[in-house]
Amino acid sequence: MTRTSRTDRPVRGDRGATLIIAIGFVVMIGAIAAGLSSLVVSAMGDRFILAELRDRQYAADGAIELAVAHVRSLDAAHGGTCSAPPGHIVDVLNEQSIRVDWKHSCTSVRGGDGVVVQQRNATFVACPDTGAACTPSTAVISAQINFQQSTAGVVTHTYVQTWSVTG
Amino acid sequence: MGSRGGAATGTRKNLGETLVEVVITVVIIGITVTALISGLATAATSGAAHRESVSADAVMRNLAESAKAASDSCVLGGRYSITYLPPTGYTTSVSPGGGVCPAPSSTTLLQLQVTTPSGAHQTMQVRVRTP
Repeated sequence: MTRTSRTDRPVRGDRGATLIIAIGFVVMIGAIAAGLSSLVVSAMGDRFILAELRDRQYAADGAIELAVAHVRSLDAAHGGTCSAPPGHIVDVLNEQSIRVDWKHSCTSVRGGDGVVVQQRNATFVACPDTGAACTPSTAVISAQINFQQSTAGVVTHTYVQTWSVTG
Repeated sequence: MGSRGGAATGTRKNLGETLVEVVITVVIIGITVTALISGLATAATSGAAHRESVSADAVMRNLAESAKAASDSCVLGGRYSITYLPPTGYTTSVSPGGGVCPAPSSTTLLQLQVTTPSGAHQTMQVRVRTP
């Protein structure tokens, strides 16, 4: 009886051990594979986010350029940029709908010759179009443009005073 | 005899079990390792594609800035041309690639395209105007 027990116990104790080790190995490799898959999916997601961000920024850039040209054309109709009312446009570029709000930011400055002249400036804020006015939290680009005018009131040149990409 | 017979029966019952386990284990490990190597290869390929895509994004931004810089020197009635030298392996195109400067109250819509060494394309639109 004693000899029989000694013979049987080790054999029964080892049964299935190799399979358990294999299953453990499979679980470990599975975890590594899951981590790899997650990495690949995350990288792809980041890539799309990066491309979308770039498209949105350049859509906002283009929309502000369009708004500047529009305000420039308003100038003649209202006798000067500072006289034209605030407004907004909506532009679609790179499959992004962008709203641009503008308002005047005119100041009086004394020139080198001592003559006080009015600087004709306007600020522009571009944001994704939601039907509401742009706010600082939704702004993608904020810019201030100076409109140089001749004595006849015609804009001869525009200067970018500030151009901030915030979104 | 009874004891010896029991021991012999137990050993006979276990005959071949270890071999079957080892064979199953080898098959499972083989499949798993194959899957792992395949996953690693996919990750490496994806990493290369991701790197190329990010580089293309940088090329696209540089191309867009070149286009805007070219229009910055525009004067009323003048002409402008866009010049940009992409990195080796990348090709770029801009349509229209230049011409008469936009009228003061309008903009010109440019279509930019970047082609990567593997042949993938990225496109984007920008607007330029005469300052």
